Amino acid sequence: MYYRYVIKELRHRSNRTLVNVFGIAVGIALFVSISAVSTAYKTAASRPFKNIGADLIVQRAEKQQDQPDKRIKSMRGIRLPFSNQLFEAQDLLALQRIEGIDATTHALLLWEFAENGFRTIMGVDAGQSSLGAGKVRDWVKQGRFPEKPDEIALEKHFAKFQKIKPGDTFQISGHTFTIVGIIEIKEGAQVAAANIYMPLGIARMLLARKPDAMNLIYLRLNDPSMLNQVKSQLAAQIKGASISSSDSFLELMGGVSMISEKFSLIASMVALLGAVSLIMKTMIANLVERSHEIGILKAVGWTHQEIQKQLTAEAFVQTLAGGLLGILVGYFISFLLGFLSITIPIPWELNPVPAMAKQAQAASQIVRLPVSVSLPLAATAMGLSVIIGCVIGYVTGRRTSKMKPVDILRQL
Amino acid sequence: MNNHHIISATDLNKDFDSLQVVKGVNLDVNKGEFVAIVGKSGSGKTTLLSLLSGLERPSSGRVILDGRDITDSSENELALFRRDTVGFVFQSFHLIPTLSAWENVALPLFPVKISAEKRRERALELLRQMEMEHRAEHRPSTLSGGEKQRVAIARALINNPKIVFADEPTGNLDSATTDAILEILKCLHADNGLSLVMVTHDLDLAESSDRIIRMQDGEVLS
Repeated sequence: MYYRYVIKELRHRSNRTLVNVFGIAVGIALFVSISAVSTAYKTAASRPFKNIGADLIVQRAEKQQDQPDKRIKSMRGIRLPFSNQLFEAQDLLALQRIEGIDATTHALLLWEFAENGFRTIMGVDAGQSSLGAGKVRDWVKQGRFPEKPDEIALEKHFAKFQKIKPGDTFQISGHTFTIVGIIEIKEGAQVAAANIYMPLGIARMLLARKPDAMNLIYLRLNDPSMLNQVKSQLAAQIKGASISSSDSFLELMGGVSMISEKFSLIASMVALLGAVSLIMKTMIANLVERSHEIGILKAVGWTHQEIQKQLTAEAFVQTLAGGLLGILVGYFISFLLGFLSITIPIPWELNPVPAMAKQAQAASQIVRLPVSVSLPLAATAMGLSVIIGCVIGYVTGRRTSKMKPVDILRQL
Repeated sequence: MNNHHIISATDLNKDFDSLQVVKGVNLDVNKGEFVAIVGKSGSGKTTLLSLLSGLERPSSGRVILDGRDITDSSENELALFRRDTVGFVFQSFHLIPTLSAWENVALPLFPVKISAEKRRERALELLRQMEMEHRAEHRPSTLSGGEKQRVAIARALINNPKIVFADEPTGNLDSATTDAILEILKCLHADNGLSLVMVTHDLDLAESSDRIIRMQDGEVLS
């Protein structure tokens, strides 16, 4: 490789070099930032699930009451949420027949309509702290997680609103509980959010229906790419089940997220192709301008392959510089976009709060767009730059193969 | 062709569409011989030089250069052959504007696998012979016509060629510089035994050669 010649050529034709470098930098910057934003939306949408370590949540909504005499007469007391009816024993057996499930845990979500207000209660499986609602055990901010039958923990904002603290007592459905901890829900983990947390057994006791009652099943898969496959199996095996994944959030987010989801690759490629056509055009114009030089090289004994190597090296250096600059600019754009906040709405079946409650609005959480330029993305961008450089070198080199030294020199 | 010939051309013809530029040329050049090809503008002398040096392919006939029939060689084979065997000096110098004088001299060696240090040393040595060492780092745009041609001659010699083809080497130079360049070419021929084929329209210049070949309308007259 004739580095000295490459560098001198690029320096001498600095305007053209800068146009090429900036052209490719713009294309790469757009590719990086569009891809980063697209990934950020997916990350934001997957955060509620990721934070609780689950890939899927299975629920069963209340069936429509056809008979007027069976309609609810009063909402007062402990109730099952409309979207979280109890699972049957055969449902759990069905789960065992489904392939691709790595871990399963369950919880019992309850509503209490008391005289002094509405509250949500989550009965947490004490044996499983790495999955589902059990993750809240890791988020105890003050005190500890309840262990005894008369102990509960409160969500931070609820405790603040109620002006109660650890050591105080709290009444639920006529029972008195001691508050032993305050829990701070991790950003974006609304699917595990409740006002009150207690061991699963105590929640079952409050519901007073079945000793093994549960209405939320959290699943972790062996391989997240099997998501749709497992979803289909679940739908077939558990009749009436509502199955949610991060896709459910992405669908609700709509707008830009859907656009970037569907078109990010195309948009990135269009941006890159624009840059490639620009650099190709300038390189070919450059080739015409340098035909004299190519004639000299051929006359003094350079082979076609050696000239192609030289031109490829020049294109390579420019695209490499453009790629690096593009990644830096893309990183900067992504950094700025990271200051944007987006709303992650919760699908109604995952919303722990009834639609008529004032707190329902809180279920739509505003989070910072988690934009970041990952190493694989930067490597892909760099790889694309290199490929573009090689393609341009090849195309321009092919053109030189048709040039004969004497034809070029005769024109001078 | 015998072993004394560096070039042997047989029944050489070159057509451009319907125009016959070189017509049935038979020509031998001996090793170490200085041959001048003279003729008016359009007589076909530059085309003949291109055919003899392998820059151009004949429409018919054969060229044997340094014992090798180059008539049917591929472009790449010709390029490598030129690199190893032939040096060129052009009327318009044909230097690369982005490279310094010594880098222009070393240009034919850029693709050759030798160390950068040796390449530079060899280029500087030739520039010294041309009394141009002090201008080694200068770019062509800062050199005079005579200096450019000295650099071009040094470039023609970098690969230790067996023959140098010079196409109107003094065509763009004033008379004083012409004399100096001619002196260099004569020295190269006399001291190193280099074969030299020079195209010129200047008969005085041609007088310095061992043999003059006259061309008219594409044909060799003598």
